[in-house]
Amino acid sequence: MTRHAMVTDLRRCVGCQACTAACNAEWDVPAGYARTHIQHTPVQGTFPDLAAGILVAQCAQCDEAPCLPACPSGATFRDANGAVRVNREVCIGCGYCVAACPYDARYIHPVLKKADKCDFCAPRVARGQEPACVATCPTHAKVFGNLEDRESPVFKLVYDLGAQRRETQAIHVGPHVYYQGKPQQVALVMDAFPPRPPHMPVSGSLWEKVARPVVVGAVGLTFAGQAVAFFHQLWHGEEDYED
Amino acid sequence: MAKAISRRSFIGTWGAVGSVSLLGAGRPITIPGNPPGWRGEQRVKKVASVCEMCFWRCGILASVADGRVLRVEGNPDHPLTKGRICARGNAGAFLLYDRDRLKYPLMRVGERGEGRFKRVTWEEALDFLASKLKALKQTHGPESVAFFPHGVSAGFFHTLMKAYGTPNSAEPAFAQCRGPREVGYALTFGRGLGSPEPVDLDETKLMVLIGTHIGENVFTSQVASFAEGLAKGAKLVVVDPRFSTAAEKADWWLPIKPGTDIALLLAWMHVLIAENLYDQDYIRKYANGFDKLAEHVRPFTPEWAAQITEIPAERIRATARAMGAAKPAVALHPGRHATWYGDDTQRARAMAILTALLGSWGRKGGITLPTSVPKGSFDLPDFPESAKGRADGAGTTFPLASEELGVTNGLVEATLTGKPYPIKAWIVYGQNVVQSIPQPERTKQAIKGLDLMVVVDIMPNDHVLWADLVLPEATYLERYDPPAVAESAKVPFVSVRFPAVEPKYESKPGWWIAQEMARRLGLEAYFPWKTPEEHYATLVEPMEINPEALKVRGAMPFPGRPYLEDRIASGDTLFETDSGKIELHSTRLKELGFDPLPRYTPVEEPPAGHFRLIYGRAPVHSFARSENNEMLHGLMPENELWINSSAAARLGLQDHQRVVVQNQDGVQTLPVRLKATEGIRSDCVYLVHGFGQRSRLLSRAGGMGASDTDLMTRVKVDPLMGGTGMRVNFVKPVAIASER
Repeated sequence: MTRHAMVTDLRRCVGCQACTAACNAEWDVPAGYARTHIQHTPVQGTFPDLAAGILVAQCAQCDEAPCLPACPSGATFRDANGAVRVNREVCIGCGYCVAACPYDARYIHPVLKKADKCDFCAPRVARGQEPACVATCPTHAKVFGNLEDRESPVFKLVYDLGAQRRETQAIHVGPHVYYQGKPQQVALVMDAFPPRPPHMPVSGSLWEKVARPVVVGAVGLTFAGQAVAFFHQLWHGEEDYED
Repeated sequence: MAKAISRRSFIGTWGAVGSVSLLGAGRPITIPGNPPGWRGEQRVKKVASVCEMCFWRCGILASVADGRVLRVEGNPDHPLTKGRICARGNAGAFLLYDRDRLKYPLMRVGERGEGRFKRVTWEEALDFLASKLKALKQTHGPESVAFFPHGVSAGFFHTLMKAYGTPNSAEPAFAQCRGPREVGYALTFGRGLGSPEPVDLDETKLMVLIGTHIGENVFTSQVASFAEGLAKGAKLVVVDPRFSTAAEKADWWLPIKPGTDIALLLAWMHVLIAENLYDQDYIRKYANGFDKLAEHVRPFTPEWAAQITEIPAERIRATARAMGAAKPAVALHPGRHATWYGDDTQRARAMAILTALLGSWGRKGGITLPTSVPKGSFDLPDFPESAKGRADGAGTTFPLASEELGVTNGLVEATLTGKPYPIKAWIVYGQNVVQSIPQPERTKQAIKGLDLMVVVDIMPNDHVLWADLVLPEATYLERYDPPAVAESAKVPFVSVRFPAVEPKYESKPGWWIAQEMARRLGLEAYFPWKTPEEHYATLVEPMEINPEALKVRGAMPFPGRPYLEDRIASGDTLFETDSGKIELHSTRLKELGFDPLPRYTPVEEPPAGHFRLIYGRAPVHSFARSENNEMLHGLMPENELWINSSAAARLGLQDHQRVVVQNQDGVQTLPVRLKATEGIRSDCVYLVHGFGQRSRLLSRAGGMGASDTDLMTRVKVDPLMGGTGMRVNFVKPVAIASER
């Protein structure tokens, strides 16, 4: 079994945005958008007794990812490593997944009009490389690995050293992006950036008026998309698409 | 779980349909979302090189296909940076493909400063320049030409200018940056620090940063050692008026009153000596002048310093004791940009003396020592001696200024006054003179009086608008540069840059431009090599490495000898001072008529309603040269004016509000957003440097943010080495009516 996970060490991270830049370059993310980004907490306290921290945000490839049921076209899928991915050929760009994500980790690509997001660099990982953000991180703040492998550093960080995830009592969808560091530092960042309630396109007039025509359209697109995807697989092998 | 799509079900259902329609298309199949570096299943060529998004020389690999750089990544084989590069490094291809690049040689058609040019050929441009330089040499002598270089390729132009006969060369790296530090440490230990800064952060027990904002200032390997040190449990003291990223991580943040650092340093020395916490063995063995120092710092108690620095005495004492406990593994970072208040060499001296008291120079976890690496050279004719001498005051007015790096502001002054003799032409290579030298109006005034202003650069930054002749240089991904040796690194290394792709447009590499000029000036004897390969082979020859392997790998390490203990056995000279010992008390300074021991002198206070302007870096930009990069502009399009939230409230200003910043002389910046935060003292405001360029030829960066340099109408010049103290300007935010 494979369950990929990412752990960011907040003691090491300085918020330099090398991760964002590497990701943007790797995936041609348009300027002003990001698959992974840095956020600074507001400064807490009164001068000179202050505290602040840095969040490295990216898709958490959640166990119960709200974006999966929100996706009307089936473009969002989970791969064999547990990563949540978008099949661009199938995506209709409706943006429901963007609204559903408690971490605001998705965006609609302004040119392609497709959903885009971090997928733990699945194609790089398939080639045996680290995700681009991990490979470039100047402070070695990011650790990537298999949570099902007892020898993996992420296993130790999560299960032995208690790396935290961004969850609240109300919203706990099984994220697999974790944070470690000094306890008060991690707590500060987790408190400053809680997940938000997912907006799910499930009921009422929206579903009637918008979603259905979209789904009808999506069926046609899916047909075409699957044909394209088929040739990807001939070329690439099937592992990416197996669950 | 998620929707599963398997190949088996695909083949069963749709296989036959798909094969006809898609294979018929007849073009190479590229996979959407396929990362650059790969095209289909075919791996593209990876070219090892050296980054130049800043000057740290990180190792990179450029992925190249069809003559195009697809992606720049870190080079895992690089001894210093080990595959890691920062945001700027990752954005390298966006410099190469920036639509605003200087594409052709240009000749001015409008007024200087207007930026109106006509396209000319290289023949015309170089012939014009050669005839001008010949004429200037005849009428005013070769010294009338001043040279402003920056960067690795500048070496070719240095050779050219020295051969032409002018000693007048100056870069801001000295008088606007690390000059005071190099001089202060050299006076104390016999040598400066160099770049990369040899601070043993990853092996230390205690880091002390004084105005150094590692994290916001990102040099890949330095920030890596910083994080490594912290993760290994090092404690951190941050002295900064601003709650920087480093301060967020600090065990002690000392929000010092700006301009009072020397008082803090003296009090730290006082505690170390009074409480016998200094490294007594080390001082006894290696240092001169301890008794004079002890006598000197006796009155400077933490209580005395607390009044001046506004740091409580107990925190001064506690941090001094922490240093005493961790010695000699204390990494007191010497800083980099050190030209703050005009007494900067003395502040650097105080830092060097403190380093000596802790016994951390040449010790594990302290400051490491450089290792020399043999380099090849060419047998050149002698350079002509100038009878007139330098015009910038290096070695005369400023007795301790580097004659290699020069005093930029000295050249501006000479150009304005015609003293000691007239300067008629500037050749500016790779430095934005109107954003990197303070008092930009004086710089522009000086340029207006020139007979000739030549700029060699890549981007049409502000200074390009002032040129008579613009020569477009190839980017670092398109050119050869001489192999660069980093001797100050703990593991010294040599790295090489060969072109990853051909130069775009009509841009040309620096070596070609210099060589072509030499040919036109009859100076080709100073360039006795035909090709970059020949140049390279000669320079690396004595290194006893395989030059082909070096080209492929991009960089190679040499054995380092970073600690004193590595040298004691071999009987090396440990300290290259006059006395052969660490000079706590500087006889050299005494002879020159300066304070032999550093003392605190109060700085001028901001007038009522004003704040001291301080400034620094952002991790995604370098100087005033990366702001137009498409990706980096996306990450940080403009700067913000940091102001204490209570101070902002008193002025009736709100967070995010747009203001202009006005200085004591009425100079105003372009509009900039306020960042009202508790994370800065209420007597100063902060801007990230490099923004606020006005060049309309920069389609993204032009007009974005506020320029700190524009506000520097005043400087305080360091009498020892000519550095321009720039934290002596006082500003206030002025609300913009429409934005309230």
